[in-house]
Amino acid sequence: MKKIIEVKNLTKEYRELKAVDRLNLDIYEGEILGLLGPNGSGKTTTINCILSLLKFKEGTIKIFGKEMNPNAYDIKRQIGVVFQDVAVFDELTVEENIDYFCGLYIKDKKEREQCIEDAIELVGLEDFKKFHPKKLSGGLLRRLNIACGIAHKPKVIFLDEPTVAVDPQSRNNILDGIETLREQGATIIYTTHYMEEVEILCDRVVIIDKGKILAEGTIDDLKEMASIEEKISVEVYDLDPKHLDTLKAFKNVDTLKYENNSLLIVYKKGKNNLIELTDFLKKEKIKYNAINMMRPTLNDVFLDLTGKELRD
Amino acid sequence: MLWHNFKYTLEKLFKNRALIFWTFAFPIILGTFFDMAFSDIEKNERLEVFDIAVVEKSGYEGSDYLKSAFEELSAEGENQLFNTHFTDEDEAKRMLENDEIVGVVTLQETLKVTIKSSGIDETILKKVTEEIVSTSDMINVFVTENSQNGQWTIDNYEEFIERVVAEARELIETSDPKIEDISSKNMSYTMIEFYTLIAMACLYGAVLSMTAIDDVLANMSSRGKRVAVSPTPKWALVLTSALASYVASLVGVALLFLYTIFVLKVDYGTNLPLIVVLSLVGSLAGLSIGVAAASILKADENLKTGVILAISLGGCFFSGMMGITMKYVVDTNLPILNKINPANMITDGFYSLYYYETLDRFYFDLVSLLLFSGILLFASICVLRRQKYDSI
Repeated sequence: MKKIIEVKNLTKEYRELKAVDRLNLDIYEGEILGLLGPNGSGKTTTINCILSLLKFKEGTIKIFGKEMNPNAYDIKRQIGVVFQDVAVFDELTVEENIDYFCGLYIKDKKEREQCIEDAIELVGLEDFKKFHPKKLSGGLLRRLNIACGIAHKPKVIFLDEPTVAVDPQSRNNILDGIETLREQGATIIYTTHYMEEVEILCDRVVIIDKGKILAEGTIDDLKEMASIEEKISVEVYDLDPKHLDTLKAFKNVDTLKYENNSLLIVYKKGKNNLIELTDFLKKEKIKYNAINMMRPTLNDVFLDLTGKELRD
Repeated sequence: MLWHNFKYTLEKLFKNRALIFWTFAFPIILGTFFDMAFSDIEKNERLEVFDIAVVEKSGYEGSDYLKSAFEELSAEGENQLFNTHFTDEDEAKRMLENDEIVGVVTLQETLKVTIKSSGIDETILKKVTEEIVSTSDMINVFVTENSQNGQWTIDNYEEFIERVVAEARELIETSDPKIEDISSKNMSYTMIEFYTLIAMACLYGAVLSMTAIDDVLANMSSRGKRVAVSPTPKWALVLTSALASYVASLVGVALLFLYTIFVLKVDYGTNLPLIVVLSLVGSLAGLSIGVAAASILKADENLKTGVILAISLGGCFFSGMMGITMKYVVDTNLPILNKINPANMITDGFYSLYYYETLDRFYFDLVSLLLFSGILLFASICVLRRQKYDSI
């Protein structure tokens, strides 16, 4: 696959704090790359450095094979950015806002009109064209924010947490829109806290913390990296401490928790843990109800790698 | 792209209600209050003619000039101060008792003023009488000295006075006719209030330019970040935004002029081209303050607006918005403050256009404003040249 963005040894410091620490990142044409990390992990700083908004201590950034800098207008023309904060003008209508930002990229008015129409359709704001931003709900505002960033049909799109604080309907609309953009051939760099979004959308994920890449790969690759294999939860009654001690002694068990008639066992390795568990329950004549078996989530991977929750 | 940003910036500014209120409506409202407050004060302060009596005591041998001075001040016209009744002592006493007159001036060896009560009219009568006596004494001393030197004799004393008056009249008539043009027919001390008001409107343009520039700077707003990642060069964005804010500011100043001229009937004089030039340069000073605030001050928009309003209002206050005395106090005690105060430069420019014969002072103010704007714009450009930031 063709490399669209190439970041090498990127280092950005804020006085004593290393916000980005010798980060290397390659982004390929047509992929959706998920940039995952907790608050303050360096995701937005990395994006701002790539966009040449921030000075950085060392490293090189190439986009479309060319060195990125503030005056690289031919590169900038092909980039779309949707920042975390909603960046629109309250004085302009939905349509005017999109036209204003699109007009900074496309001079031709007719071409622009088509782009605006497409963008409005993509985010589902057809009924709100003449509305001012103050009249829009949080979700609709986020959609407008996206439309302003992608109306000029960029080849590379940076989406920095575009679904923060939006209603489920708007979230689905936004995620559908992003899928459509990928189908149209855009390369997308997507930062978020929400693992479910990453699991739905992203071809590849980079986990970042304290400005460093902790892991990268496909979602399955990352899950393989986790030290846990599976989790089994059972609704079970009358377990006494003796039973729990026996279960803890099972070969692959990592941790075990029994609360409110719910038993949760986390296994380090192995694929036949469920059989072993049900055999034990039958043998001990312990009544049980629902059994759930779960594969590790990205959050488990993240927890495993960083020791903290993704949304910390 | 240039026209695109210019057009939308103008639209954004004109649709921003808060901005329009402070930059367009507020000066007009303030002007209306000034008119209501100060025009009444002026009317009230116009002196009313009041009645007095002048009594010439029998045996009085003093100069006729005292008597003629009261006659002069009682002559009908703009300068009439008294309505003088030349009468005898008894009649004057009766008139004073019946409150028909304010006071009685008795011409005797020592001139005497009799009043019944104290008040503004009584004080005016006393002060004017003192002034007449004092001037009369000076002339007497002068004539006496000259007659002792042999230059003048009491015989040609009247001829001397006539010659002095004739020479003075000739001097006035033959001098530059501008002297008459700038005479008191247009003068009003409330004019300074309107000059400061125009200065305020010019400087309030700073809020417009600050808002417009903030919107294209990545380190100042999220909208600025979005604009900064576009392929439109930064210089083009800053320039067109500044120009749009300048145009918006000029519209505000023009509206204020039109309102004060046609509704409040304020007379700014006849030198329209220079008034326009001063307004353009004054608004440029406002623009430069706004650009500097946007680019140099790293603070949120509300704080920047506060700083600009403080500078504008403070500047107008020190240049006489709340009373011309303040301008004199600053000029006397801290002249440097008004030398660097753009509001004072604008106010003083209008003032000098209106009251001075030559344009030296006007051009000094104009050049000072240009220098002020140039320095701020230069400092801003130095900061604005940065394309990448340490933090945003």
